[in-house]
Amino acid sequence: MTRLVACLILAAAPALAPGLAPAIAKDPPPARQPPAPTTKIAAAGILGRNVAGPDGKVIGRVVDVVVDAGSNPRAAVIDFGGFLGVGTRRVAVNWSDLTFPPTGTDTDIKLDLTADQIRSAPPYTDQTKPASVVQPPPVRTPSPPVATTQQEPR
Amino acid sequence: MLPDTWSAPDETDRRRGGRALDWLNFFTANLQTAFGPFVSVYLTEQRWTQADIGFALSVGYAATMISQLPAGALVDAMLRKTRAAAAAIMAVIAGALLLALFPEMLPVLLAETSHAFASCMLTPAIAAVSLAVAGTAHGAAGERFGRNARFASIGNGTAAGMMALVGSQFGPRAVFLLGAGLALPGLFVLRMIRPPAPVKPLAPTEAVHRPREKLRDLLGDHKLLWFALCCAAFHLSNAAMLPLAASSATEKLGNDATLVIGACIVGPQIVVALLSPAVGRAAERFGRRPVLAAGMLALPLRGLALAFAPSAFFLVPIQLLDGVSGAAFGVLVPLVASDLTRGTGRFNLCMGFLGLAMGGGAACSTWAAGALADHSAFVAFLALSVAGALGVVLAGLMPETRA
Repeated sequence: MTRLVACLILAAAPALAPGLAPAIAKDPPPARQPPAPTTKIAAAGILGRNVAGPDGKVIGRVVDVVVDAGSNPRAAVIDFGGFLGVGTRRVAVNWSDLTFPPTGTDTDIKLDLTADQIRSAPPYTDQTKPASVVQPPPVRTPSPPVATTQQEPR
Repeated sequence: MLPDTWSAPDETDRRRGGRALDWLNFFTANLQTAFGPFVSVYLTEQRWTQADIGFALSVGYAATMISQLPAGALVDAMLRKTRAAAAAIMAVIAGALLLALFPEMLPVLLAETSHAFASCMLTPAIAAVSLAVAGTAHGAAGERFGRNARFASIGNGTAAGMMALVGSQFGPRAVFLLGAGLALPGLFVLRMIRPPAPVKPLAPTEAVHRPREKLRDLLGDHKLLWFALCCAAFHLSNAAMLPLAASSATEKLGNDATLVIGACIVGPQIVVALLSPAVGRAAERFGRRPVLAAGMLALPLRGLALAFAPSAFFLVPIQLLDGVSGAAFGVLVPLVASDLTRGTGRFNLCMGFLGLAMGGGAACSTWAAGALADHSAFVAFLALSVAGALGVVLAGLMPETRA
């Protein structure tokens, strides 16, 4: 109850007497920080965006992003294939194989791998487990085999 | 069991009503196609997270299971089954429009639940109207349900083709608009099916005055329980087979699999369209059990063939077996339900109960096969075949329901 009253006073305080609020609070004050400044940056969301292969043909759609403990995006999860949603596969592809279009344009995200190279990769099923990510083939030959590696568990 | 306000139609009315029913089945079949796995594709395109999509689809699934019995009971209670069907079609159209126009969480949940309840009303209501139009002549019901299955599968196949085309040209949203547009003529053909002569108020049909059976009486019928078990086993084996086969096609062919999967979906519909009338006649002539067992036998055969298929292109001919079992079940579910509820006024409740059994089997199928397929699709196909073999045994032991 006292906490509630304190909150109410706190809420009213800045309007009534700016600078008084910290003095009133007896309990550790609930954080009431001023809104952080914002700025427009040249970046945009990718969920649901189309992904096109090297030939420009759309392969699938981004449904998730896989991030490591160092806050680095490591892979994008892509839904591809299927007919009216039946038979769709979901695989994770290496982040650095993706090229993103300039912000504000509606063009597709480019993937360096072809649909053939990712089609038989192990499915991405459990977002709590280390993901199997399709890596770029070691040597760029016309028809290299698909290389997939297991990310080391952390 | 017959809709209560109907008097005996004469031959011309019957033929007219029959043709209208053909088209009703054609126009309403597409509604299931649009609301299936495609919702997930659409919501992904609308930038929904996978967790939200999963939640919305689960709500839709739970609503379907919860709706089966109440929706059946409601249709039983309604005097005019054509009105029940019309209300259901309108609700499904409204659901499709909601999805297309407002892809936000609340409208989508509303669309999913209203679609769930409406489709639980629509299936039995169409079957009930069919029984009334077919009349009680010997073999008429089997003939009628054969035609229903034929036109529903033609509608399904046509809609799947059109939806794929429209979806690739105009985006996923257009698919739902198309679905709503395709269902609209269903309302008009429904108006052509009418009680041919006014019911004489002093001579109401017997069913009006006889109290309806309780659910408990219905469930006390061991024949119904046997058949519900068969239905559950059928979907336990059947439900995951196509998705699993389709996903293995994508694995082998990449994006070229789209055409193969499309053929795997449309091909069986053609088989159903060709076979259903013969299945209906066979069920009247030889009884329900042999037809059920034959339809069920296609499942383990298909599962084994899929497990050992040497290449993705074999999936298309193997999937044609889906049409064999699909025709058998499409005809037998309403037919056996009508056998078991003759004169009880509980046809639609019985259909709801069978729907519950099928939904439960399908859910177990998807869950179990999904878990197995993470290790090996081969093992998953074998497991589905075993479930199908169990279904064959159950069907072989089922008591005959033909009068």
